[in-house]
Amino acid sequence: MIDWVAFGIVAIVTWISAMLIVAAYAFGVRLLAVAKDEGKNTSLSKTGAYACFTVAGLIVAFGVVLIVPQLSEAVLGFSSSH
Amino acid sequence: MDLTLIVVLVIALALFFDFTNGFHDTANAMATPIATGAITPKKAVALAAILNLVGAFLSTEVAKTISGGIINEDPSTGVAIGPAMIFAGLMGAVIWNLLTWLLGLPSSSSHALFGGLVGAAIIGAGVASVNYSVLLSKVLLPAICAPVIAGVSAYLCTKLAYAITKRQNGASPKRGGFRYGQIFSSSLVALSHGTNDAQKTMGIITLTLVASGLQDSGSPVHLWVVAACALAIALGTYTGGWRIIQTMGSGLTDVKPAQGFAAEVSTASAILASSHLGFALSTTQVASGSVIGSGMGRKGGEVRWGTAGRIALGWLFTLPAAAIVGGIAAWIVHFGTPGLIIVTVLGVGAMLTIWFASRKQPHGAETTMSDIDNSGAAVNILTKKQRRAKAKADATQAKLAAANKEADNS
Repeated sequence: MIDWVAFGIVAIVTWISAMLIVAAYAFGVRLLAVAKDEGKNTSLSKTGAYACFTVAGLIVAFGVVLIVPQLSEAVLGFSSSH
Repeated sequence: MDLTLIVVLVIALALFFDFTNGFHDTANAMATPIATGAITPKKAVALAAILNLVGAFLSTEVAKTISGGIINEDPSTGVAIGPAMIFAGLMGAVIWNLLTWLLGLPSSSSHALFGGLVGAAIIGAGVASVNYSVLLSKVLLPAICAPVIAGVSAYLCTKLAYAITKRQNGASPKRGGFRYGQIFSSSLVALSHGTNDAQKTMGIITLTLVASGLQDSGSPVHLWVVAACALAIALGTYTGGWRIIQTMGSGLTDVKPAQGFAAEVSTASAILASSHLGFALSTTQVASGSVIGSGMGRKGGEVRWGTAGRIALGWLFTLPAAAIVGGIAAWIVHFGTPGLIIVTVLGVGAMLTIWFASRKQPHGAETTMSDIDNSGAAVNILTKKQRRAKAKADATQAKLAAANKEADNS
């Protein structure tokens, strides 16, 4: 039968992960723009920006780990494979 | 004809299909970062090829859907159709793919593959040989849902990216920073392409091995099959890239870095999530959904529904059309070895004809544009001036309507 739950999972996972990645990266871009404009506290803004980029990268890495059965078993201790 | 020879033929044709798939889809992932100058074409193409290769090794869920779901199992022989029927279906898919590529019609290589296979199975082994429930839930419904999911995601992400980077005091938002992000988001699209599209070929080869008794039904995909498909798609991606580089700058849609980043992240997320659940979807359709969604998310973005409808119509057409070609091929193959030889000769002849016909067309013709560019044309982004003019016209119209109403009332 049609597994509507699977479609729901795809939709929710796509929306949440994409928005988290884009939000993290966008905050990074904004902080870099702030660092360039305002002069003071540049290093703080820049560090924040790179932290944001790292968060975006970590979300992607987590997603890849979840998908690869061998990796998710090694890193998380379980596999969500069907 | 020897059983092993037909198996070798199917594997060769399947790998060729995989190669054309990579060849056709490089542009989907890498056209935008090349266009915005974030990465040099040479590096982009090499990166896309490597990531397709890696992606193919990540998962086998989609391959399992194809090898163990769509075609019903026969209790006595294992699979209801033989390798010759699979060969006929593949031939239908390859020819339909090349034909749409030559004519510049929007198409999906994945749907061509399923169409060819289903058509060949129905003609070769009867209507009951296809598992329509799996076809519906793992191929047809994802084909509709996934582009919509990706489109909504791209719309929301574009809005979000612009809202977060908007500066209050009129300072420059410096959204060019997204250009470097696009290197990573495009890479992610290439990776997801490998996870979904290379697996379709793995599924076909595994199905053939099961059908000819060389592999137990329900057993996992062999590693050499994974490696062969990964190499074929990577090679295709790399070769296809040179074609894009030669035709760069012709007809690329106006995609801003922030918008492109949002669209690519949405595409990759949707494809990866779907691959994990075994949905065999068309990566081109998902990417098109994202491009349209992100265009709508920009200020002044409006959809040209006529163009979008024409693209969707092309997609609808693919499955039944490839099914007919696959069915005809299966009917000829039905006559045994001579039939098989006829299909092979006709098929290779058709491929060569299409190839030579495509060489005669000038560069920059519609065939060299990616499908994503076609769907980008379905969104019209108004400039600031146009937006103001439109708002003014709307206001005047509203005033006029109010005045008319008053005149009617009095």
